[in-house]
Amino acid sequence: MERRVLITVARDEIAPRFDLTTEALFLNISESGEIVSRKSFLLAQPSGDDLCDLALSRDIGTIVCGGIEDEYYHYLRWKRIDVIDSVMGPLEAVVTRLTAGRLKAGDILYDRAGENA
Amino acid sequence: MLKRIEDLIGTDCPDLPALLDGLPMGIVMLDDDGRVLMLNKALENLTGYRREEVRGLPCRHVLRSRACVQGCPHGSGEGPGAGIETDCINRHRRKIPVRITPVRVCDGNNRPVCVLDVVEDLTALRETEARLSQATGQGQIIGRSQAMEKLLRVVPVIAQHDAPVLITGATGTGKDLLAEAVHKASPRSREPFVRFSCGPMPEELLDAELFGRVLDGSGEFKAGRFQQAQGGTLYLSEIADLPLAHQGRLVRFLDEGTVLPVGAIKPVRVNARLMASTAESPEKLVQDGRLREDLFHRISATRLHLPRLKDRGEDLDFLLHHFLGHYAARFKKNITGISPKALLRLNEHEFPGNVRELKNIMEFAAMVCTGDKIRTEHLPGHLTGQFDAGPAQRSAEKVRKPARKHTEER
Repeated sequence: MERRVLITVARDEIAPRFDLTTEALFLNISESGEIVSRKSFLLAQPSGDDLCDLALSRDIGTIVCGGIEDEYYHYLRWKRIDVIDSVMGPLEAVVTRLTAGRLKAGDILYDRAGENA
Repeated sequence: MLKRIEDLIGTDCPDLPALLDGLPMGIVMLDDDGRVLMLNKALENLTGYRREEVRGLPCRHVLRSRACVQGCPHGSGEGPGAGIETDCINRHRRKIPVRITPVRVCDGNNRPVCVLDVVEDLTALRETEARLSQATGQGQIIGRSQAMEKLLRVVPVIAQHDAPVLITGATGTGKDLLAEAVHKASPRSREPFVRFSCGPMPEELLDAELFGRVLDGSGEFKAGRFQQAQGGTLYLSEIADLPLAHQGRLVRFLDEGTVLPVGAIKPVRVNARLMASTAESPEKLVQDGRLREDLFHRISATRLHLPRLKDRGEDLDFLLHHFLGHYAARFKKNITGISPKALLRLNEHEFPGNVRELKNIMEFAAMVCTGDKIRTEHLPGHLTGQFDAGPAQRSAEKVRKPARKHTEER
């Protein structure tokens, strides 16, 4: 069965905050981990409520985001949506790890080797 | 830059981390690209991240403040020491109000060394502010007209005493809000404010609801509104709807400070301030025998009258814009004003439902408005004549009109 995922995005990385997100990426991921469809969505204004409504209306099963307030987290969990929160990193690195089935809450995927640059 | 910071910590100033850890406010040391070099202990506690975990990460992902996302404080060009009040979400999903003050650190040759963000937790401050505003504010009662200003000026004075208060005013004028404002301004503000509508109810149930009841058999006591208001204020709206027998029991409470719960043998002492309201003239209610005269003389020790919206002069315009702003924000619409035609329609309207009616009209208008201005087509049909009154409605209006005239003459 396909997995429907929503990722909160800011430019080319995971949005630092769920409630201030204006861009979302929808992914349909097959059981084998292939991306079946990929679609971006822009919100008129940042709103945690609107994002929750969007996730529910699109029948999303998993949300990947950065910081999320308790209230939204528990609401989404109550609605049986998996929330992988506190994720930091470039979008593509996150998508790769997600499709490999290895993404978990709190993952930091920034390459810090070049920090001395 | 990181190399220079490491030099600074390693050789020039080895005590720097310990020094920063000793500070009571959160400190994050950033490089020129806004990447985290170090967090002190206070900020570790606030964000939930350890310094080793977040070293080299963009600070927006660590602090997760609104300011980071909507306009980085470092790019704002504000002078040194200009703090930004915002909020952040920590690792434990808690939203924390904070003040972030960026400080640029330079060496002896005025070369930039790093940026320090000073992060202060404002939770305690916000809680105190909320508590104080709840305890001392005038509630939601607002007004600029002379009549309302006069009324609002006496509220804090009346609030300081324990005398019963009788609030009169037509429907929708804000009697309940005024009662709450008196309670909030009183020394009882931290105790309960209990509201009870004296609408039609079986007498036995009313007895138990108001005065409490001792349950048969178990002897367990179920508190009534009087006991719930212990230490605070009991507000009875539409007091004339209360049966005369119960009004007599209120007289006893006002004289002796006791009530007799249903099924109890001994009266119970209650320390509560009594406030009551009625939409009709209390003198007329006494004349008609619907309000006991002895109760009227006791509860009208302090009497406040709320004028009709039409008699509140400039308040119509003020409240109209107040509600418009409120509902525009609530419905997330960019409504900036109201057209002159729509304003004229509203000014011509009688507002029999007073402020409540105005509030409902503005809620409707803001809901259906699609542009930046409220126009006549956004007003409810009964204002624009869209709902043309049928014969039945017209005859009802004919009956109502003399009644209103009668009220005005009184």
